[in-house]
Amino acid sequence: MPIIEIRALTVKYARRKLAALNQLTLDVQQGETVLLLGPSGSGKSTLALTLNGLLPQAVGELREGQVRVTGLDTQEHSVADLAQQVGILFQDPDAQFATLKVEDEIVFGLENLGHDPAGMDARIQQVLTDVGVLALRDRPVSALSGGEKQRVALASLLAMQPEILVFDEPTANLDSMGTQQVFALMAELKSRGKHTLVLIEHKLDELMHLIDRVIVLDPQGGILADGPPRQVFDEQGQALQELGVWMPQVAVLAHALRRRGVELVLFPITLGEAVRAFRPWVASATPAAQQPARTSQATPALEVKQLSFAYGHLQALQDISIKINQGDFLAIVGANGAGKTTLAKHLMGILPPPAGSIALHGEEFTSIPAKQLARRIGYAFQNPEHQFVTETVWDEVAYGLRVMQEPEDIIARKTQELLETFGLWRYAKANPFTLSYGEKRRLSVASMLALGQDVLILDEPTFGQDERNATALLDILRGLNQQGKTVIVITHDMRLVLENANRVVAMSAGKVLFDGAPAELAGMPQLLSDARLTLPPLARLSALLATEHPHLRNVLTMTDYIALSQ
Amino acid sequence: MQTLYQPHDSFLHRLNPLSKLLVALPQMALMLLASEPWTPLAFVTLISLTLLVLGRVKLGRFLRLLGPLLMLVLLFTALYPFLVRQSLVADTPLLWALGPVKLYQGGLYIALVTGVRILGVLISSLPFSLTTDSADFVRALVQQARLPYRIGYSTLAAFRFIPMLQSEMSVVHAAHRVRGVDSQPGWRGKLEQLRRSAVPLLTTAIRQAERTALAMDARAFGAHSHRTYFRRMRFGHWDWVYLLGYWALGALILLGLRSLGLLGPLHVLQIL
Repeated sequence: MPIIEIRALTVKYARRKLAALNQLTLDVQQGETVLLLGPSGSGKSTLALTLNGLLPQAVGELREGQVRVTGLDTQEHSVADLAQQVGILFQDPDAQFATLKVEDEIVFGLENLGHDPAGMDARIQQVLTDVGVLALRDRPVSALSGGEKQRVALASLLAMQPEILVFDEPTANLDSMGTQQVFALMAELKSRGKHTLVLIEHKLDELMHLIDRVIVLDPQGGILADGPPRQVFDEQGQALQELGVWMPQVAVLAHALRRRGVELVLFPITLGEAVRAFRPWVASATPAAQQPARTSQATPALEVKQLSFAYGHLQALQDISIKINQGDFLAIVGANGAGKTTLAKHLMGILPPPAGSIALHGEEFTSIPAKQLARRIGYAFQNPEHQFVTETVWDEVAYGLRVMQEPEDIIARKTQELLETFGLWRYAKANPFTLSYGEKRRLSVASMLALGQDVLILDEPTFGQDERNATALLDILRGLNQQGKTVIVITHDMRLVLENANRVVAMSAGKVLFDGAPAELAGMPQLLSDARLTLPPLARLSALLATEHPHLRNVLTMTDYIALSQ
Repeated sequence: MQTLYQPHDSFLHRLNPLSKLLVALPQMALMLLASEPWTPLAFVTLISLTLLVLGRVKLGRFLRLLGPLLMLVLLFTALYPFLVRQSLVADTPLLWALGPVKLYQGGLYIALVTGVRILGVLISSLPFSLTTDSADFVRALVQQARLPYRIGYSTLAAFRFIPMLQSEMSVVHAAHRVRGVDSQPGWRGKLEQLRRSAVPLLTTAIRQAERTALAMDARAFGAHSHRTYFRRMRFGHWDWVYLLGYWALGALILLGLRSLGLLGPLHVLQIL
């Protein structure tokens, strides 16, 4: 008997026209590890919620069909019963705690189920050991790192001994260190073989060796593809990319090479396989002529001199000196808490820099009035919602122009132009808060650009977006950069850095560890690990291949690989 | 949430939060009702000793906490004599005058009394708040005071929202400043600023609350009318010792003050 049986399931949310899931039928066998993919809004999280009965018992509406887990119908059994069969690890590490301390959190479910307190101590020991955080038992949850929070949240699920574990993008809010911790845990659970795992993730290359089966949902809430990962990514690759579904980078590369007539001995889905699959081709590919390094003009747009800053006792920035040249596409990278955002806040005057520590086009920063600053530097916050100040998309973009008292006809023209560039024209009358996450992000960038600032600072611009939205935004940023605007991006996404930036500043514990070309940073493993950064899959692939084929050392991105094939 | 609580092991830390509360609340009432400085002063001394000896609060930390409270009281004492209804104290000696501004001895006395009473009220809560973990307090309310656990634990979960909303608030303000939003002077501007930041704050709060609610439901929260407790709070004999001992001592102090003729009548603020 399958451990999960879904029959003709149709789910709807109140106030939405379309069904979130539509006539979905699906079986999962005991012990399987299933990867659930789909474009944003295709119902992946909705499907996860149906598995422990939260949907329809807490949210949503189950129109038709049936879901059974371990033989229990989720509409007939309470969430409390189902919680002992299915545990869901959610995306937001901060929103899933109910109590203030690790230990309290672990027993929370057991207490609710009315378990005998006598057995709880052993259970706490057991699950905290299983996820490798026994030492954190007496800590307040607020003192944990993102990765630790997710481990504790998982332990609190394991305490209820569910057979099925669902991971709903648990690494989406984590830096690379936290992500590695969670992935290691998934691998550990898989190897123990006690659980059926359902994963929703988009950082795929590091997970593919765990996956038995891939299920892809289509935008209408049905099933687009279902099968072993190699088969799905091989046969449906084209369709998945068109929908903006994340795929392993090595699989995307394999498709790109095939389209260019390269024959592969096998279709790779993991790094290890990619080394085998691409080796023969790499040996014959001629190294592309070195692109002349893009040089920015040597006039500094922003110059930071010996900037230090502390929040109380916590030293957030120590003696930072950087010259950001006009026309740079600069990435500031580092783990959470490295000081990236603090530095960026100084560049925008949100935190006032000490006199003499920052100059904008040679002008002393502290002598520039705030309004002038807003005209010359644009800043997009990590959460776009924070920036919205008006009630329509149109007003949002026009706002900055109105503040600067531009004439109405210019405001109208510029606003329309920007809305069209960013694909938001049809929402002009909508309330900004009703847009999708990707659209909100684009709107926040559009409204920031209205004043024609020539320095743009963006905090985690691709955070929480699907492949297509992320790519679209970066294309726009690159275009602006080519027009001569200086773009500064704060990120921990090294793929974004290697594909877009001409310069990277790596920070750790408030200090600059590295300042130079991204390719150079990619070749410094010790420094990367000190800054707690991990290279994207294709760059790691090159490092593996470069042991035999040194000309691959500077091939770091999809574009580099494709250039190699010509 | 940022509370005054510091984890430590002491007699007070080990007590049931409710016994500490049952000491603090009547004591606060007594401070409010006292009409002379001696009762509050005696109790301030008793509370200080309780904190230092039974709570093992470090002297340095205690003084750092007391400092701002004393400043408040001094400020109050300095201003209060001029706010007292003059007819109440006009029959006492005039100490100082500048035109219509007059300082009577009676006014100064009332100010001093009120100052130490306020000090008494403020520090009455410290033996509770410095040594009580908020989760333990909720547990005690649920387990001993029969507060429905759904309310208690929901409150605890809501506690975690406060620091989140605080930091969210400052980010929203910064984001609006960057957009060139000028804060207009006057209440109209304040209202407009409030409206502008309310929408993003509410959006975040509601989304966060929904997520937390789902995560709690997913762990069977509220499924049964009763739940068990790994950490059982007890109202044990030490709690009775503290509660009864403290009030026996309190009664002795009051009796002592009366025999010295220092205990005045108890009444609510009637001076203004």
